[in-house]
Amino acid sequence: MDPASRPAVVIDNGTGYTKMGFAGNVEPCFMVPTVVALNESFLNQSRSTSKANLLAQHSAGVMADLDFFIGEEAFSKSRSSSIYNLSYPIRHGQVDNWDAMERFWQQSIFNYLRCDPEDHYFLLTESPLTAPESREYTGEIMFETFNVPGLYIAVNSVLALAAGYTASKCEMTGVVVDVGDGAAHVVPVADGYVIGSSIKSIPIAGKDVTLFIQQLMRERGENVPPEDSFEVARKVKEMYCYTCSDIVKEFNKHDKEPSKYIKQWRGIKPKTGAPYSCDIGYERFLGPEVFFNPEIYSSEFTTPLPAVIDKCIQSAPIDTRRALYKNIVLSGGSTMFKDFHRRLQRDVKKIVDARVLASESRLGGEIKAHPVEVNVVSHPIQRFAVWFGGSVLASTPEFYSACHTKAEYEEYGASICRTNPVFKGMY
Amino acid sequence: MILLQSHSRFLLQTLTNRVQNLEKGAELDCHWVEFDDVRYHLQASMKNLHILLLSVSLPAPPPETIFFGGLPFGAIEAIKAAYGGLVQILDPPRDGFNLTLKLNLSKLPPNEEKKQAFLVKVASVREVVLGAPLRVILKHLASRTVAPDMDQLVALVHRQNESFFLVPQVDKVTVVYPMRFNDSIDIVLATSFLQEFVEARRAAGLNNAPPCLWSPSPPLELKGAPADALSANAGFVTIVIFPRHVEGKKLDRTVWNLSTFHAYVSYHVKCSEGFMHTRMRRRVESLIQALDRARPDLENSKTTVNSRSFKRLSLKDSRSNSTS
Repeated sequence: MDPASRPAVVIDNGTGYTKMGFAGNVEPCFMVPTVVALNESFLNQSRSTSKANLLAQHSAGVMADLDFFIGEEAFSKSRSSSIYNLSYPIRHGQVDNWDAMERFWQQSIFNYLRCDPEDHYFLLTESPLTAPESREYTGEIMFETFNVPGLYIAVNSVLALAAGYTASKCEMTGVVVDVGDGAAHVVPVADGYVIGSSIKSIPIAGKDVTLFIQQLMRERGENVPPEDSFEVARKVKEMYCYTCSDIVKEFNKHDKEPSKYIKQWRGIKPKTGAPYSCDIGYERFLGPEVFFNPEIYSSEFTTPLPAVIDKCIQSAPIDTRRALYKNIVLSGGSTMFKDFHRRLQRDVKKIVDARVLASESRLGGEIKAHPVEVNVVSHPIQRFAVWFGGSVLASTPEFYSACHTKAEYEEYGASICRTNPVFKGMY
Repeated sequence: MILLQSHSRFLLQTLTNRVQNLEKGAELDCHWVEFDDVRYHLQASMKNLHILLLSVSLPAPPPETIFFGGLPFGAIEAIKAAYGGLVQILDPPRDGFNLTLKLNLSKLPPNEEKKQAFLVKVASVREVVLGAPLRVILKHLASRTVAPDMDQLVALVHRQNESFFLVPQVDKVTVVYPMRFNDSIDIVLATSFLQEFVEARRAAGLNNAPPCLWSPSPPLELKGAPADALSANAGFVTIVIFPRHVEGKKLDRTVWNLSTFHAYVSYHVKCSEGFMHTRMRRRVESLIQALDRARPDLENSKTTVNSRSFKRLSLKDSRSNSTS
């Protein structure tokens, strides 16, 4: 039977979480942390010469090759025993450790999705700044190790836009603000093509928000065991953080009614098993605030996210700018804070209006500009919008003709994956 | 992971989630595919939150296997025995599927442990349905009888249009797998994997494991089999199952492992390819390191004799060199 008659497998490997599932579904089957727990105790043993020992070591090494876990299982294994080391295959949106990445894929395919990779086309994602070499590497692993019949490597921002496309029926032009766990990019897309020269990236992402919350809680002297503090900060970020409209007002609100705004966190110390509790206060709104006032977190990068978006659109070709302002799409887990899109829309609008006003006063009020429409789109599936876009794309019949196929790979080699057509736009 | 688990991970996760948040249940409509072309479709509507419809489609059976109404023989009885009154078989099944089950979540056993065990059982629906004929034969083996009205050679569906063969006898059941792979590298790897597999059985610790054999040509047991079932590009594996392998609780595991043997081999072939690549990458890295060490350092090269002589080629430089 032809593999094209089966649904394609869509895997979106993010720095923090991997979303995987089959095309045509609304939700991914699994969302697991992108982490591998490896048992390396066999590999580091000193080599001995006796033959029996060598044989034992060989079979132990073979077993150790299969002795690894991914996702939540990896965390629990590394917590319960000391022979497993955690390894994060993706850092800052780029694959860092290909061995771990290959193992991660292997487990995702065979243990989680439980499918035969020879039976399905695959759609993988990459960040817009991925190097061509890393794309070749991906192709090599997919075709050589897993024997996939076809592979498509999509740019995650285009997919995020495609997800919005079906939700609100707008064109494939827009700015994607993709803030994940390890990387944040502002990517302008015109008619499905990425405007490569105008991509802006921000050194602040979800992990930095977590680190900032951790720092705030530590400085206030909250009673959190140090080995657990990062995890607690991450949970606090995911469960309690929100975006405020004005920091000063928010501070006042918190001070007036602490009982309403200050939350409690309860946990159990992993070492002793004793329960503890701590307060969650200002970090609830200060965490997301690092995107709007980065100076509170780092002294090196001080441009707020709305200004970056504005700069990005201003550097795009002039005939696309209005359309870009009209469709600013959020994607990635770190844009999920409550009211994040409202705040972003207000701030971008403020910058644009100020500029329009300045140019009008310069011209002396003779020519009136059309008001610029600024629209920040958010949808309920923001957390896996990229995956959903991939699922939509992979369920169209054109998808199968756009894929790199196994036959092409065998004819030309990994170089077929080198270029991505979405960068070959008109600009 | 060395052995494939018998329950579908996604199905179990979805069912557990659903049971835990029964009141908050939302509409559900998802489909997915497992190895060897087993398709699932799970559906729940807002109208009745306790009812789930689970449809399963099986790989297309080759002509030599016995199928009744799209299901292998004994499947309906096996479903009834495994799930009791909690599950209802809809007839006819949904379009494009072989079996549709109606699950009523409000009738689950109240005991947490039993509830979980039942959900795992539902998630292993594949084992129950596809393994049903195998289970019938092995059950007879456990009681040391041969099922009546059974042929000398029984063909059971293994993969899409492929089958494996059983020779049931009173004291043993011989299972023969013709192994087929698509890719030429896979054929080579699978062949050597299977030879290793037979070799490993001889190790001292595995005396009680079922004996197995590998041969490149069809074994004698397959005499009566149709000709196109006898073509296999990675040889034939014969496994002999004795009553001790199917006693009590071992039966379920034996059924699962025997009915997914191809997937097991294919998984390990893919793993070994992956680990070969890991080793190759490590080797390339060490070679590149060696190359890097061999390259003369750029700063030092300025002061070497070689570069000075090269500089002398230009007149101006030679003058400045001589003055210095």
